[in-house]
Amino acid sequence: MRMNQRILVHLILTFEIILGFNPEPTYLVLNYFDRDLPAAEQALIDNFSNSTFEFDPSIHHMFENIDNHENPAASHMVTIKELGEKYQVNYILFNRIEHINDRFILNGLLFNTRSGGLIHRRKIDLKQYLNGQINELNMWVGNTVGRVEKNWEKNRESILFSDPEEINYEKTPRGAAIRSLAAPGWGQAYSGKKVSAGLWASTESSLSLAAIISFLNYDKAAKSFLKNSKLYDGTNDEKEVADYRAAAENDWNDHKKYSQLAIVFAAATGTGWIANSIHAWIVGPRPYTNIYQQWNTK
Amino acid sequence: MKYYYKRIAASLLLTASLIGQVKLAVNTIPTRVDVHLDGINLGSSPIRNERVTPGVHKFEIKKKGYAPLTYDLLVNPAQAVQLDFFLNPVYKVRFKTEEKGLIFELNGEHRWDVQLVRLELEAGNHFLRVFKIGEIIDEQTIRVDEPKKFNYYLKKPLSEE
Repeated sequence: MRMNQRILVHLILTFEIILGFNPEPTYLVLNYFDRDLPAAEQALIDNFSNSTFEFDPSIHHMFENIDNHENPAASHMVTIKELGEKYQVNYILFNRIEHINDRFILNGLLFNTRSGGLIHRRKIDLKQYLNGQINELNMWVGNTVGRVEKNWEKNRESILFSDPEEINYEKTPRGAAIRSLAAPGWGQAYSGKKVSAGLWASTESSLSLAAIISFLNYDKAAKSFLKNSKLYDGTNDEKEVADYRAAAENDWNDHKKYSQLAIVFAAATGTGWIANSIHAWIVGPRPYTNIYQQWNTK
Repeated sequence: MKYYYKRIAASLLLTASLIGQVKLAVNTIPTRVDVHLDGINLGSSPIRNERVTPGVHKFEIKKKGYAPLTYDLLVNPAQAVQLDFFLNPVYKVRFKTEEKGLIFELNGEHRWDVQLVRLELEAGNHFLRVFKIGEIIDEQTIRVDEPKKFNYYLKKPLSEE
């Protein structure tokens, strides 16, 4: 045992034990913590009402690691029987909490005072979390005496880190990409990037508008060409023939020019639309933490 | 008649083999994790009503996305052993800085001097140490509780004007 370890031993006796009329199994709970856990005592008092606590450092040899003995299960038989008689209990629950780096180990041993032997053992080895030791102690004691509260289980669940696949974020890059696919700039705005949202929205609007105008001009030129062609075919007047021919030729050139422009602007709009969605995914909301230097460098 | 003798003998042998064995229960969070005992797959957790002989045994628990756990346990000749294992998830983390000439060290093990690094870290607290020209300029604990990016900034001195 390390010299700097702080030893806390609590004896918990149920109220019924003291009165001595309860036929239910009775327990004596011994706690050994290598660090001071001041809240543990109060938590046990609060959670296991009708209990009383005593301090008894005389059973220090139980603090040794039971695994060092040749016969671990029977190593404390005499002590267990003596304690059983002294406190008139059926079982003794010995809890040891030890801290190793960033983990703690709760070793729970349940002894039968009639035989003095070890009948149940439970080890918990987990990364430390806030008040985790106390919660786990409550759970183990409660589990043994059949009084586990739901909120302890919930507390354990809530403090454990989440499965990365089960973490749900309010805003995600995928959500941003989908929004931008529906309306350019929406995903960027959803991610809080207002400038790029404005740029994408205006660029895509301009390109779309240009494509629509080009198409309308193309359509107008095509219709005009057909009309002038018909008029050209239907007249024998020399001047009208020349005029309709010139007009039809202009319409043909316009129709070709606007057709090409409409294709170019439509392609640019489509490409930009997809690029805007990809950009929304790239700049989409992701969790981050800013770390600032803590040391003063004078 | 011979058949009954054989059954009785088999039952006695089975009982004899079970005497001295310890009942084993293994719970894990998360559940449905493959539990190996001394290299033998016991199945998916929670494990109930398995039996184990007293002595030293090695548990190996692995699940994708979680830090693997290996645990040596000396099983005493008790009635039952119940083990609870809590697997800690591993998160993908990016660590970025715009500052120049810094060397980062995490948990005294991993070092890097580039401005962006991708790491896979066990959930929980990690100790970060920052060096500049061979001197420690910062030490602090960072908490990794989800896959995320860390941006590191040096503290700028206040303007004297």
